[in-house]
Amino acid sequence: MKKLLKYLNNYRLECAVAPSFKMLEALFELFVPLVMTKIIDEGITAGNTRIIVKNGIMLVLLAFIGLTCSLTAQYFAARAAIGFAKGVRSSLYEKILGFSYENIDRIGQSSLITRITNDISQVQNGVNMVLRLLLRSPFIVFGAMIMAFTINVKAALIFVVMIPLLFLAVFTVTLVTIPMYKKIQRTLDKLTGHIRENLTGSRVVRAFNAGEREKETFNKENDHLLHASLVTSRVSAILNPATVIIVNASMLILIASGANLVNEGTLTNGQVYALVNYMSQILVELVKFANLMITINKSLASASRISETLDIENALKDEGTVDALGLEDTDEIIRFEDVHFAYPGTGASFVEGMSFSVKPGQTIGIIGGTGSGKSTLASLLMRFYDTDSGHIYYKGKDIKELSLSTYRKCFSSVPQKAQLFSGTLRDNLLVADPSATDEEMLTAIRLAEAENVVFAKGEGLDMKINEGSTNLSGGQRQRLTIARALVRKAPILILDDSSSALDYATDSRLRANLKTLTDKTVFIISQRVISVKNSDKILVLDDGDIAGFGTHDELFENCPVYREICDSQDTKGEESL
Amino acid sequence: MKNKAIFLRILKLVKPHAVLIVLSLLCAVGNVFSALFIPVLTGRAIDEMIGEGRVSFENIRHILTLFLIAFLVNAATVWLMTLINNRITFKVVRDLRRDLFAKLHSVPIFYMDSLGHGDLLSRIVSDVERLSDGLLLGFSQLFTGILTIVATLVFMVRINLWIALAVMVLTPLSLFAASFISKKTFKYFKAQAALQGGLTSFINETIGAVRVVKTFGYEKEENEEFNKKNEEFAKTNLKALFFSSTTNPVTRFVNSMVYAAVGILGAFLGVAGKITVGTLTCFLSYANQYTKPFNEISGVITEFQNAIACAGRIFELMDAKDFVDTVTDPVEAPKLTGDIEVKDLAFSYDKSKKLLYDISFHAAPGSHIAIVGPTGCGKTTFINLMMRFFEPDAGTILYDGIESDRIRRNELRTNIGMVLQDTWLKEGSVFENIAYGKPDATKEEVMEAAKKSHAHSFISRLENGYDTVLAPDGGNLSAGQKQLLCIARVMLALPPILILDEATSSIDTRTESKITKAFQTLMEGRTSFIVAHRLSTIRNADLILVMKDGNIIEQGTHDELLVKKGFYYQMLNSR
Repeated sequence: MKKLLKYLNNYRLECAVAPSFKMLEALFELFVPLVMTKIIDEGITAGNTRIIVKNGIMLVLLAFIGLTCSLTAQYFAARAAIGFAKGVRSSLYEKILGFSYENIDRIGQSSLITRITNDISQVQNGVNMVLRLLLRSPFIVFGAMIMAFTINVKAALIFVVMIPLLFLAVFTVTLVTIPMYKKIQRTLDKLTGHIRENLTGSRVVRAFNAGEREKETFNKENDHLLHASLVTSRVSAILNPATVIIVNASMLILIASGANLVNEGTLTNGQVYALVNYMSQILVELVKFANLMITINKSLASASRISETLDIENALKDEGTVDALGLEDTDEIIRFEDVHFAYPGTGASFVEGMSFSVKPGQTIGIIGGTGSGKSTLASLLMRFYDTDSGHIYYKGKDIKELSLSTYRKCFSSVPQKAQLFSGTLRDNLLVADPSATDEEMLTAIRLAEAENVVFAKGEGLDMKINEGSTNLSGGQRQRLTIARALVRKAPILILDDSSSALDYATDSRLRANLKTLTDKTVFIISQRVISVKNSDKILVLDDGDIAGFGTHDELFENCPVYREICDSQDTKGEESL
Repeated sequence: MKNKAIFLRILKLVKPHAVLIVLSLLCAVGNVFSALFIPVLTGRAIDEMIGEGRVSFENIRHILTLFLIAFLVNAATVWLMTLINNRITFKVVRDLRRDLFAKLHSVPIFYMDSLGHGDLLSRIVSDVERLSDGLLLGFSQLFTGILTIVATLVFMVRINLWIALAVMVLTPLSLFAASFISKKTFKYFKAQAALQGGLTSFINETIGAVRVVKTFGYEKEENEEFNKKNEEFAKTNLKALFFSSTTNPVTRFVNSMVYAAVGILGAFLGVAGKITVGTLTCFLSYANQYTKPFNEISGVITEFQNAIACAGRIFELMDAKDFVDTVTDPVEAPKLTGDIEVKDLAFSYDKSKKLLYDISFHAAPGSHIAIVGPTGCGKTTFINLMMRFFEPDAGTILYDGIESDRIRRNELRTNIGMVLQDTWLKEGSVFENIAYGKPDATKEEVMEAAKKSHAHSFISRLENGYDTVLAPDGGNLSAGQKQLLCIARVMLALPPILILDEATSSIDTRTESKITKAFQTLMEGRTSFIVAHRLSTIRNADLILVMKDGNIIEQGTHDELLVKKGFYYQMLNSR
């Protein structure tokens, strides 16, 4: 939370004004019973109508001042809270976009999204409420007590006993129930998980006639939830009657001792009224304060998640200075030299001593089962992760010496997951190259075999793409992501298993089109032999090791792993449906 | 369903708790009257303290006794009321969820698919929650609110008509003020919700696809775009937040005005000797609290509108037509041999579009049938019909010569084992998952099934072996391992008929060969339908069904079909 406070720096004025005006309002509120006492004692009892009118006007005036003060306070509190949230949101977003893959893997995308949406709203609400109420409530409570002392010390002593008792009741119940409510939430989450499971597995559940059993388990969990809710509500139900008893018992004592004091002549009945009034005010404020505590508790949890995210150090250091785009051509465009790599947090090394080199303009196929390291190799190549040891060279330079932003511009890639952004197709293609002309984009679309996708709808480059690309099929999405990659005029193209949703005919036409891009070095990652078979060279990966590197024919002869893959895909990788 | 009908059904839901509800209402009456009685007593007590030496202790003692009784009654009733109301709502929630969950198991599968899982989930979880919130508020605040308003009016009019009139005229003002603000705010809230939606989708999209953003080095542009949206959102957010937060101060202001009016008017009446100081204090405390029930009721009404909408969705699910198993002339618990004859089978969701039609073939016991064809050709629909997840529109499936609708669904399904590509596992131990179809299986049986399915070796390497608890959806396993577990699940039950879906991709070669071997073990001597992708599987099948656009266009063995030079032949040669 402390770390986040700096986002309030620009709102110091607001942060000072809001609570001050709230306190001012509270102060005026505390005067009201005194004015009323005056009306009763000096007006009614003495029969003085002038005093009544004068103090009556005073009451109206106090109402107006109170309104002005509280509106001012609300406005400034809202400004501070929103400005604060805006600042945090902006920093957090920038931070997340700057994260390396390692950071993203660790936290997870959905968790990052929750942090930047829900958590920030939660904290904004917390800041707003704290500015408004944190000072006000205690101020009223203790102010009312002090006022009581100014009226009569003996009577005020009742307040001294009552306030801590009320505090105790309100806070014990609140604090005891916070973890209980959390438990209810967990039980509910479990129940929700069970329902979701039964929805996704509806066919399997029925196939195994397991419906009755599922219902039994569910009913048990459901009863747990009922039980937890009832227990918690029994505890929280104590709060209301407890405060009623404490406050009214105090009032009873107050009236009894007030009667004595009035009889002695040290107190007027108007003052007794004022004291009773202060007691009710205290109760109202304490209940508000307890609710504030719950809000604060929630937003502190959110705040700590946010500041934790902001504190994360970027795992990838961008310290290179050489402009990768300005490098001279060499006869080796990429070279891996004894590269070792382990996924952070897994301990076990994943890539062990990988070495190979690639000439400019070559097409390199990369094949291997899942978990063999194909995508990892692509991520290492584009420097989304750093190697643990060993080096990767681009045109003879260690890639760590190159500035990251220029180095990434040397690549164009089609990631495994075909993701597009909502907007027009043009917007999406411009992501790859903001300066691309319509002509260039259309060429890329043609090369990606995506013409029929684009022109079927008759909107060309203005074709709308929905959020989550729901208006496109998997194959269409894939072809458009390929088109996007082709828009960028980068020397290296990486296709990461990006034809899995295409039928064979389209896939083979696509590969033929790529062959025409002779100036590009192309990496084709695939599980299917047929997709890589015609590459200049094929890199066979097995468990993070290179099992072979050569042409299809060479490998088919000499590389047992490659042979096994070919066999599993029916002989030479030609016959498979 | 009309709102009124929904309301009546909600009443029906709580009807079993009628006794508790009456008790709760009685408590509410006691609560309201004791609460209103306390200021009267305070006022009376103050009237007994006229000044020095003029205090009637005798009367005050009497008043305070009543005071004690009043607040004890108040505390007791509020406590009982809370307990009872919570009990009723939580039980209603529990019962609703139980019934809705059971409903999930009795509606047709396609009903679930068409409504969407997210929608169903939110009906059972959040809609029920919202309904219960509405109910709870309705019970606890609506009745007490109305009662408080009426009783206060009666009390006030009986004490003094003029002040009562002043309160009655002025209080609605605060309600007007509140509704004015809420209308104003609503406009901003709508604008805010729209912008927030935009911002959230933007976040979802760019962070969801952060790898794409990074791949193309597009961070700067996205940052700029985000800041623009963020700025816009903050502006509207400020307006919405500020206007909504004025409700309290404004209500408080109107309240203060009422208080001032009562104070001044009361004071003049006091001077004229029409009322006592105590009566005035009683009025003042009424004036102080009088807006509260109004605000509560308007809150309840909004909440209740929500609750009605939620209840509507809940009842809709509750009323969904069940997938009733109407067996005529049933054959009791048949042990099938696996002889299957399909005659002129047809099915469609939408009667204008044929999804599957004219499906006919015969499968001998123990034969292997490969189903091939492009996506969307009706393979999945066919499986759904075999399992009786759907009922055919026309035609029949005969199992050992028995029409499928003469076999109870449950009994039919115990005869069929199914391994689909989307591997579903439940959150539970490996053991529980394998024994899913046969919960009374012994440890030995489960291990035996796992060994036959080539799953034993990876299970033994798991941290707790067979007791390892799987994450939801088998999150901690690879796709291939999940598939092996699904095979083991069927291996344990070993039904005479199998439906298998061959994996297409994303399984590594070694695991894939294990899966192939496991499939072979499983299929031995069993009538097996395989949605096939691998040529070897297809070639070895006794019967190949070539499907296209909902129809079997060719059937026969590999060699027969090649000779035909039809669609199958073309499919093979387009490789």
